[in-house]
Amino acid sequence: MTSSACPCCSGLPFETCCGPILAGAPAATAEALMRSRYTAFVRHDLDHVERTHAPEIREDFNRAEAERVAEECDWQRLDVLRATEEGDEGTVEFLIHFRRDGQDMRHHERASFRRIDGQWLYSAGEVNPKGEPRRVVKVGRNEPCPCGSGKKFKACCGR
Amino acid sequence: MEPRFACTACGKCCHGLLPLTLTDAVAHAVRFPLALVWTVVRSNAKSYDLATRLGTSVRLPNRKTVAVLIQPSAYLPNHFPCPALQPDNLCGIHSDKPSRCRTMPFYPYREEKDQADLLVPRKGWECDVSAEAPVVYRNHAILDRTNFDRERAELLEQAPVMRTYADYVLKYMPWIVNDLAKMAAAPAGGKLVTSLSSFLTATRRTDARELAAAQAPLMQAMAERTRTDPALADLHKNYAGWAKEMERLAQRP
Repeated sequence: MTSSACPCCSGLPFETCCGPILAGAPAATAEALMRSRYTAFVRHDLDHVERTHAPEIREDFNRAEAERVAEECDWQRLDVLRATEEGDEGTVEFLIHFRRDGQDMRHHERASFRRIDGQWLYSAGEVNPKGEPRRVVKVGRNEPCPCGSGKKFKACCGR
Repeated sequence: MEPRFACTACGKCCHGLLPLTLTDAVAHAVRFPLALVWTVVRSNAKSYDLATRLGTSVRLPNRKTVAVLIQPSAYLPNHFPCPALQPDNLCGIHSDKPSRCRTMPFYPYREEKDQADLLVPRKGWECDVSAEAPVVYRNHAILDRTNFDRERAELLEQAPVMRTYADYVLKYMPWIVNDLAKMAAAPAGGKLVTSLSSFLTATRRTDARELAAAQAPLMQAMAERTRTDPALADLHKNYAGWAKEMERLAQRP
């Protein structure tokens, strides 16, 4: 038996990548779930997309429209740009390349995921997300300097 | 001179897009292929305040706020006659016709005092505006206002539903705000069309399946009728896509 490459572009065979997740196994990470949801669109398996919605957005899912979109688009590639997880919260920023009506299109989204009872679920998405807000980390005077000099902050850049 | 007006039943206004009240759209779902039509009303427009009450306010990326009307509509190409228009140019459902048709030529999406120019027949229309026709509008007031008031009241009543829908669309199809911004910037404005299926999902209608079952064959028929005309390619694409959505919704358990 030959195994085919997974549509999610992981480089792994479908049988060991998104295959089990589409069959109902829990995704190990938010990113794995996101990839499997993309694969579900490619394979027109909208049941998987529907059952991996967090409860608060379940009613908002337009299954009829999603099925049509899945059918009408030629799904070309998924790029996962960034994936982070903190406890039961996950964020995956991704880019989907597809063709629709003969036009090359891109969908850029930063999606939020939540783990409930061991299952990662899609809970929200921001399309064309703005850049990450700038984080200002306050460094204590007696802490090591963030420049990496090994000196205390007050004796280095904080002077 | 007071504007006079009488309908001669020429049938010329019974063509193309027909904005409906939500009640009429639901009541006539077996007759009209339905879509939601979005129109931007800029803040300097005469009907801006009214439009914010009948529709919703949207903040654009350039930080300007516009009013947006979302009209449930019979989605027909401009030159297509109303499916209820008979060969003798009379209405086949006269006693049961939508509010929009009863109120013609007045338009409750505009203030009552701003209706005079609607009494001037459009090119090719055969409305009677001669001295024989009755006076229908005096001192910026509509003389027989029954239909106007009824349609306006229905629009005001449905406004919260339209706002729920607008919120849904802006959340789940956020790119639409860019289309609205383009329309706000274009001198001629423009219209944006969204599907009945997203409206049914957003408003959680319990009769979604019945409405979809009524719509599916209409969308299919319209897809057929618009298949060969390159000028109607965009409409054809919508009809064909929505036909599928309606079929799926209708089959949903």
